[in-house]
Amino acid sequence: MARYYLHIVNGGGYSEDPEGQELTDLEAARTAAIEGVRSILSEEARQGQLDLAGSIEIADADGNILLSVPFSEAVELRLDRKGA
Amino acid sequence: MIERHLLKLRARDTVSPEEEHAIRDAIGEVRFLPADHVAVHAGRIVDYSIMLLEGIMCRYKDLSDGQRQITELHIAGDFVDLHSFTLKRLDHSIITMTPCQVAIVPHANLERITERLPHLTRLYWFMTNMDAAIHREWEVSLGRRSAASRISALLCELKLRSEVVGMTDGMTYSLELTQTDLAECVGLTPIHVNRTLKELREKGLVQFRSGRVTINDWDGLVRVAEFDPAYLYLEKWRT
Repeated sequence: MARYYLHIVNGGGYSEDPEGQELTDLEAARTAAIEGVRSILSEEARQGQLDLAGSIEIADADGNILLSVPFSEAVELRLDRKGA
Repeated sequence: MIERHLLKLRARDTVSPEEEHAIRDAIGEVRFLPADHVAVHAGRIVDYSIMLLEGIMCRYKDLSDGQRQITELHIAGDFVDLHSFTLKRLDHSIITMTPCQVAIVPHANLERITERLPHLTRLYWFMTNMDAAIHREWEVSLGRRSAASRISALLCELKLRSEVVGMTDGMTYSLELTQTDLAECVGLTPIHVNRTLKELREKGLVQFRSGRVTINDWDGLVRVAEFDPAYLYLEKWRT
């Protein structure tokens, strides 16, 4: 287990994660980031405006950015129906 | 030791010296529990209820994929599972969220209260009804409120509940929870809670940092939450 800090960068600015979360590894942190983004986007969808330009920066306890997860990786967008 | 519990009761009704004595007498023992200790496991038969003296506990249910929904938070003074007196086995579990001091109240002692003290019995019946009212309010949050409104409603509720038991300092109160804990109360993810708290902070409404809540604009927070304290039954006119 290690502590990962999941900072948010999106249209609302930069939201620092002051507490972090105890997670098994970086993959688990990525999963937590994806779930977090989906939660934010579901709220935005309810309000009719989706901001997919943001990202989650996953940092370790020393503040090193280990991975940046773009919001767009959290959802698969289908804008037309190919071959229908 | 049961002062906060008495404050909670007396905010809603009178408690006679005889009744106060009976409550003190009903306590079997006092225990100290570490944080993250499951005090009641769903499905197991219990023969005592827990009165919380210090710390924070919660009622919760887990899903198979590891997601947890907290269904009510309990603070000092709460009779956390008074309902187990009639239910005997709970359909949910109860866990400590911080180190806690609890009083164990054997059901046999509660039974004696119901046989001897009808007014106190009605008051405890009222208290379990009030827990149901809190559940209804959380249901409205989880089903209909926005993220900002859910968190605001929870922070308003805990402000008033803390105030009743003498644990606020003006518009500030202690809430030794993490953003992950809050997320499990309001059905969001820790990231979403973090984002929403930032939004509430930047609007000058409320700050939640290092286990403390500071409300900067009560009226504004109440508006965002559509918070109506009627469900906390703070009026004192019962008998």
